[in-house]
Amino acid sequence: MHPIPRADRGAGGAGKSPHSSVEFVFDRSWVDELAERAARNGPWDDWTLFALAVEAERAKLVTSFDELQSLRCLPAFEPMPHQIATARKVLREMGGRAILADEVGLGKTIEAGLILKEYIVRGLVRRALILVPASLVLQWVRELNQKFGIPATAQKKAHTWHADFVVASIDTAKREPHRELLLSRDYDMLIVDEAHKLKNRKTSNYQFIQQLRKKYCLLLTATPVQNDMDELFNLITLLKPGQLGGQSEFVANFVADKRLPKNEDRLQEALSAVMIRNRRSDGGIAFTKRIVRNIEVKLSPEEKALYDAVTGFVRERYDESGRDLASMLSLVTLQREVCSSRDAVFVTLFNLFKKTAEDSPMRAKIWELVEFIRRIRANSKAEKALELIRETGDKTIVFTEYRATQEYLLQFLKQHGIHAVPYRGGMNRGKKDWMMDLFRGRAQVLVATEAGGEGINLQFCHHMINFDLPWNPMRVEQRIGRVHRLGQTNDVKIYNLYTTGTIEEHIVRLLHEKINLFEMVVGELDDILERLEREEQPLEQRLARLVLEAKGDADIRRGIDALGRSINRLRADAKRTASAGGPEAALPVLSVVPDGPDAAAEVRP
Amino acid sequence: MNAKQIHRFVERYLDATGCAILEKSPAHFKVKLSPAADRELTNRPYYWSFVDRTGVEPETMTLLLVTDPAKYDAMTTGVKAGGGGDGQAAQAGGSGPAADGRQAAQTGGSGPAADGRQAAQTGGSGPASQAVPPGARPEAQADGAGSPAGAPGAAEQAGMAALSRSFGFVPAGIGARVPRDDLYFGSRRLEQLFAAARRGGRFVCLFQQPDERALHPYDSLPCTPWLGVNVKVGFVCDMKREELHAFGVSLATGAVVEGFFDRLQGMKLTPRLPANVHVTGASLSLKKAADLIEQALMRKLKAYDYGWAAAANGRLKEELAQLAHYYEPLVESAGEGEKESIAAQYEARKEEIRWQLAPRVVAEVVNAGLFHLTGLA
Repeated sequence: MHPIPRADRGAGGAGKSPHSSVEFVFDRSWVDELAERAARNGPWDDWTLFALAVEAERAKLVTSFDELQSLRCLPAFEPMPHQIATARKVLREMGGRAILADEVGLGKTIEAGLILKEYIVRGLVRRALILVPASLVLQWVRELNQKFGIPATAQKKAHTWHADFVVASIDTAKREPHRELLLSRDYDMLIVDEAHKLKNRKTSNYQFIQQLRKKYCLLLTATPVQNDMDELFNLITLLKPGQLGGQSEFVANFVADKRLPKNEDRLQEALSAVMIRNRRSDGGIAFTKRIVRNIEVKLSPEEKALYDAVTGFVRERYDESGRDLASMLSLVTLQREVCSSRDAVFVTLFNLFKKTAEDSPMRAKIWELVEFIRRIRANSKAEKALELIRETGDKTIVFTEYRATQEYLLQFLKQHGIHAVPYRGGMNRGKKDWMMDLFRGRAQVLVATEAGGEGINLQFCHHMINFDLPWNPMRVEQRIGRVHRLGQTNDVKIYNLYTTGTIEEHIVRLLHEKINLFEMVVGELDDILERLEREEQPLEQRLARLVLEAKGDADIRRGIDALGRSINRLRADAKRTASAGGPEAALPVLSVVPDGPDAAAEVRP
Repeated sequence: MNAKQIHRFVERYLDATGCAILEKSPAHFKVKLSPAADRELTNRPYYWSFVDRTGVEPETMTLLLVTDPAKYDAMTTGVKAGGGGDGQAAQAGGSGPAADGRQAAQTGGSGPAADGRQAAQTGGSGPASQAVPPGARPEAQADGAGSPAGAPGAAEQAGMAALSRSFGFVPAGIGARVPRDDLYFGSRRLEQLFAAARRGGRFVCLFQQPDERALHPYDSLPCTPWLGVNVKVGFVCDMKREELHAFGVSLATGAVVEGFFDRLQGMKLTPRLPANVHVTGASLSLKKAADLIEQALMRKLKAYDYGWAAAANGRLKEELAQLAHYYEPLVESAGEGEKESIAAQYEARKEEIRWQLAPRVVAEVVNAGLFHLTGLA
């Protein structure tokens, strides 16, 4: 059944209504057609179809305002309890306008799909527009079709805008000529994914969303507040202007400092009327365990020689440069690459060689290093990885930071009869999807250099090898998040390969033992790193400095220990402000939740 | 609707539209569509306009409609357990000569095909088949595709995967010779059947077949024309509840009855005027009859509880007040250039809120018909 079309609203016979509080519309369009057919004696329809039509309508009847009707329409999958509760709340209490702000990995897409389906089943939504980042378009289309049986279409050509359920990238939608077309239409429902990109009122994205005509609206974001309170105000105002009062009122009532709220209870109340945030710590959300194993790899004498030579070379340059870290970044990369593969080192050295002047004494030194590379016959780490892959005999994802290492590994695995496919950031969307398909299908191993890309979901795989560890813990967490997420039914096994006697050994120690990275919740890590950055420099740079300036292994060890201590101090700080009513703690809706320290290596985040 | 009801529904639809059922069980139909059903269900407007313009003999599609997927799968894999042993061996062993696999695929019949389908469901060929060297397997599977059950094999799967990479999703069965559709409540194909029934069964004109034994050959029974209307009433605000009412109005007397559709179902109805029956004149116009129905509905609705509407109006009022509180000072303080756009924004937002929340009762007619009945006066 249609909601009253805009044009007709208010025109329905006023005064003729069963109750003063409602408008009443009685459809009479059929009378003329029936009369005409009667006058001409036909054509008449079939009695069986007539009866079937009534039966179909009976079956589809929405008998209750409250009960979720869509659940009986989803035989293909079962939403989790918190997702159903969210859908119910949005329907019953929020009237279909809400910010879904679950933590990463709890299935905001599912919640949105469930809500959309419910409104479709109830006949309240016939046309919906779903705006998402370009990289997620196809994934949304797939989920809506497969999980919910909603015939969503990816926007490709101008005419696809006319489909009932269109998924498009917001950047396309806001450009002419699409913009004008979309603004001329009414959408029963608008869904915007990654809505934290709408935090600035001056942007064209924000204004575009504001101008779209919509009945129901869902904004999805894992991080409703990233920097300051204004973002929160803007996001809520986009959904429901006035919910937090006017801008100046909001500032007067709720803002103590740019980043600090006040009158938390009232703010909390105002927020909870439009925003739902489920957290992993809420319980009832079952995650499988993470089982972390650090695997030691002994370098062959040749590899060790290369490592030492590169380390010496990098330090020498550092001293020459007058300890200027900024100019050293490519050399620090070299230092990290040497732990990964000789191929990675070689590529960087080669580029360095090309860049140095022909008469520079550097060239000879680089050439010396290349000689070291030449002497290496085997990659100890790759052999270890192969051993692990054979041992598990199951789908495995191997992460490396370096393109050259990736190439090498692909070749190496192929030589040993293991079907592996690559995945990297530079691939276009189609190729990425293709590689995913291959990995899901016949390939055993995926060798990936990129984990940050939203939208790789690898729940079907639960073995992960960190061939080398990034120095940025967020990247490690992103890697794990690809595999360890909602829908993963197995415990996730994470193998960290590290070479003894190198900086890697220390990194593993720092990440695993000192800061227990593998046990933290995504949000917590984020928070700590941000604090670290505020106090001094990013973790990566600190590590680089440490490596370049340390006088020996013991020195590095001391440095790492100190770093671990300061991170743990920040962690404790974070917890203290949380319990003392800091900005996040005051607003459970916004807060990130630190995990207990009691968990060992097996963790539920 | 449970699986059984769906099965009944589908059967009656196929029957009514004159489709040829090639194969059926309590869990499925394999059916060659009639032109009428093909036009409704296969979404091929270009093909049909081609047929209409050139007058060629249309080639309709064959569908596999599965009304009870679990049962159907159990049935087909049961067949496989008997004949598909070789097929499995070929898949697991892999190293065996490819000819083996092919033979297995042929003799196994639905065996490898069922596997292929399973693989398609898990989204690929699945981890179980990894041990197979890539050389041997695709052939066995590609042959599986040729098997009568028509499940997608490796080659087809690759094609499908390519399509779905481009479009995100491709409904199962496009490109397959006999696309399979699982008909569960809420599935697209069933929705389509519902819609097709509704489009195909809007207006009828029928006569009640009198009980023949009771009739004297020279008698002529009078029958009264009735207007029967099925109305779906929606109680709508941001939420919705529905009711279905079947009204009948005697065009002779103007009497209105409820539950008319259920009464009709107990009768024998025919589209032709039966022998020994004559139609008495109608004294009411259809328009007048429609008025009577509207009045009857209105009387009924007046007795309802409108607490939900009052609540919705309350929310609406609250939201409009909140909006006014936000926008009015903003419009006031805006500079000349901005004033207009902010005011327009305000209006648009007010309109949205009314659209979302304003309570209304909408009565929509599902279908209607003229029924000439001997039993009812």
